Amino acid sequence: MFYASLFIEYFKDYLKRRLTYRSDFWVEVLTDLMFQGMNLVFILVVFLHTPLLGGWSQEQVVFIYGYFMVPAGIFGCFFNLWNFTERYIVKGEMDRILTRPAYNLWQLMLENLDPASLSGSIVGLIIMGYAGAQLGLTLAWYDPLLFVLFTLGAIAIYGGVYISLTSVSFFSDAPTGILPLMWNIQNYGRYPVNIYNKPIKLFLTFVAPFAFVGFYPAAYFLDRANWGWVALCTPVMGAVFLTIGLSLWNYGVKKYRGAGS
Amino acid sequence: MVNAYVDLIRIRFMMMLAYRVNYYSGIVIYALNIGAYYFLWKAIYGSSESLGGMSVTQMTTYVAISWMARAFYFNNLDREIANEIRDGSVAVQFIRPYNYLIVKMMQGFGEGLFRLFLFSVPGMIVASLLFPVVLPSNPGVWAVFLVMLLFSFLINSQINILTGLLAFFVENNEGMMRMKRVAVDLFSGLIIPVSLFPAAMSAVLEWLPFQAITYLPGSVFTGRVTGAAVYQAFAVQVVWFLILIVPIWWMWRRARSRLFVQGG
Amino acid sequence: MTDATNAINVQRLRKEFRVQKSREGLKGALRDLFNREYTTVRAVKDISFTIPKGEICGYIGENGAGKSTTIKMLTGILVPTSGEIEVNGFVPYKDRERFVRRIGVVFGQRSQLWWDIGVIESFRLLRKVYRVPEKEFKLRLDELTERLQLQDLLNRPVRKLSLGQRMRCELAASLLHNPDILFLDEPTIGLDIVVKTEIREFLKSMNRRYGTTVLLTTHDLQDIEALCSRVIMLDDGNIIYDGSLDELKTKWGKGRELSFRLHEPIPLNRLEQLTEGLGVTWTKENELTAKVWVPFDAAPVSAVLSRVVGAVEVGDVSILEPNTDDIVREIYKAGSAASPAETRGTDGASGNAGGGSTGGDGENHASEAKSGEDADRAPVTAQGAGKHG
Repeated sequence: MFYASLFIEYFKDYLKRRLTYRSDFWVEVLTDLMFQGMNLVFILVVFLHTPLLGGWSQEQVVFIYGYFMVPAGIFGCFFNLWNFTERYIVKGEMDRILTRPAYNLWQLMLENLDPASLSGSIVGLIIMGYAGAQLGLTLAWYDPLLFVLFTLGAIAIYGGVYISLTSVSFFSDAPTGILPLMWNIQNYGRYPVNIYNKPIKLFLTFVAPFAFVGFYPAAYFLDRANWGWVALCTPVMGAVFLTIGLSLWNYGVKKYRGAGS
Repeated sequence: MVNAYVDLIRIRFMMMLAYRVNYYSGIVIYALNIGAYYFLWKAIYGSSESLGGMSVTQMTTYVAISWMARAFYFNNLDREIANEIRDGSVAVQFIRPYNYLIVKMMQGFGEGLFRLFLFSVPGMIVASLLFPVVLPSNPGVWAVFLVMLLFSFLINSQINILTGLLAFFVENNEGMMRMKRVAVDLFSGLIIPVSLFPAAMSAVLEWLPFQAITYLPGSVFTGRVTGAAVYQAFAVQVVWFLILIVPIWWMWRRARSRLFVQGG
Repeated sequence: MTDATNAINVQRLRKEFRVQKSREGLKGALRDLFNREYTTVRAVKDISFTIPKGEICGYIGENGAGKSTTIKMLTGILVPTSGEIEVNGFVPYKDRERFVRRIGVVFGQRSQLWWDIGVIESFRLLRKVYRVPEKEFKLRLDELTERLQLQDLLNRPVRKLSLGQRMRCELAASLLHNPDILFLDEPTIGLDIVVKTEIREFLKSMNRRYGTTVLLTTHDLQDIEALCSRVIMLDDGNIIYDGSLDELKTKWGKGRELSFRLHEPIPLNRLEQLTEGLGVTWTKENELTAKVWVPFDAAPVSAVLSRVVGAVEVGDVSILEPNTDDIVREIYKAGSAASPAETRGTDGASGNAGGGSTGGDGENHASEAKSGEDADRAPVTAQGAGKHG
């Protein structure tokens, strides 16, 4: 309850700030969508010249892409610590966070909320709906539940990976550039994983499991027989990576506290 | 004074050198991007011989050189200018007897040189080792390409400056900067060669400066255009460079007078 | 039409700004989107003053009084709405490039050095920018390094310096080209007393040796006391006092306080008896210390002294001059320096002119990082790549 009310406070604050830069909000929504749109344009243009991409049709690839946008949008709404080292460690804002009576990671997330990101998720759903309809997908009664499960799993994977990488700031304050690196790897998960070669496939499945944030779960809905069991691993991967991430983070905070600033 | 401007190039170069760690990851990032598109295009080509006037190997080369060129011409001048306008340090710059825009260009160029030698060149080497890239055998092509690359930098920087200067007039031009980024990446031919766009779109794009940044030099490099067409491509770049000077100059005058009257 | 003796000449200078009015509430906010309302704010109201060459002049005023606006006009980065302005023989905003070659500026709250490189690199770059000949530069640099003790700082990047160290470097930077006029905008803000004293001494000696005219805006009245022979006070865009510091004190200081250390306790009424008729007031601080307040328009201090010292055994006497802080406060309260305040009441209200607040930080644009710069080294760090790269 405490966190819920905290959330509302932060959200109100966010709205107030946004209203001062009114046009900003919509511009951000628009540009976020444009970035996504860019990749969609790629898909659309590419399919003008070929019927299949790695064995998948245009609607299928679009469906996968739409699915990818959903957890990405939700995650992007809550997690925006790209400049963490700069803003919180170097400038010492972390100290302020640690003196407040709420779990530090929550505070960080709440402080950096970006609701505009959710527009991506909404658009993703729309795209999925449209592509799905085109494909004539049939859904079992439990599919929506699985969808939610997969999405949560994907968000957990994102969380685990990025929280781990951000916590590196507690151990070394050299700017590493590893976050943008990971962000780029993440993009590989937008497309059917079978177009990549073996090493990359393995990497995307086990090391930086971004195959699970887009492709595998989407493939479940597209081709249950072949991909179903892989997709079901999504929540498992999510749990694993999130645990790693949080442990690393908490360890890092402890170290930060102990060593002073 | 020219001395001072040249010094700025050197200073920016040194500053970039200080952020060494990021430069390694930068190469990796670019390699990753090339890789992603390489696989995509391979899958797209399937068994097709050629798409948009390029064979698979040409396309691979195109992707590699486009990203590596981007590694060179990319800069954050727009963001820097916008930030300096927003926090007021632009005013401080006017206390100095030099031209702010030229200073920014020089800084951009310093950054560009750094990126060229420490990103693009090694990156291109890495890329040609990892992927089936085919480099031009004709030194003449290399020569023209390098000049065109310089113009890519100039035109991209011009667009950046224009976008950055908007911060004088619009309270928060963050959105515009991001849109510009999308536009440049998409329309310049980085993501998709312009020739692959549907006819309607590519007709429009031919009238915009973006393709001069990636697509034209890339086409020359991969051998997609040869002979006289090469010089045509180059000419397009030059024309755009000259055209873009006009709005920059105009905006700059307006921005200055606004600063001087309104205090920015 | 250059004025040979005056460094700065300002006549009926005015600056007006158009400011957006924000309407109240949500409805108002929506209406603001479509139809903006403006009001005109007059920040500087037809002020006039002249500063002769070689003078160190203090320029004080509350936040928002128009100080920075005036400085910006004097340095050519703001165009006046009306009035005449002549600095160092130039009209600042007209001949900007030639004009700025001969001036130096230090902004207390903003750095003009390049953030990521060593101090000496910034200096060398400035040498080229201001076209200072190598030999002359070397001499100046050595002198400035010596006077401001910059030896250890020269090779450090600016971002690694403490505020005090940075300030010293900024001062040096502004003097490398031996400017005729030096503008200092709150140079001692946030500095500790030791550094402040060093800087004050330095400025005085520069002024003595080179005749550099100095215009110093500050909140710190100690700066004024230490450096300035002349003070201009600004309030709400108007000049409310322009003259020497001494005159300020004499006109506005209400009086002096004498403090006596006695050898043996002496009752208050005895002391009062001694100085009867002189119009002074006694207080006892403790058994052995007595203070007497001698208003300026009462008897002279000498009279008081002679009466007391002759009659009682006195160990020590000290005379406390009027406090500039109090004076300035009084003037602001009265709204003008035309006449000393009618009421001589004690100012319990502390309203002080100290420590201006720095400009706020504003939005955290976190989102800027995540997107397009994907293929790039780093999300642009505002500190790193930004400042005067």
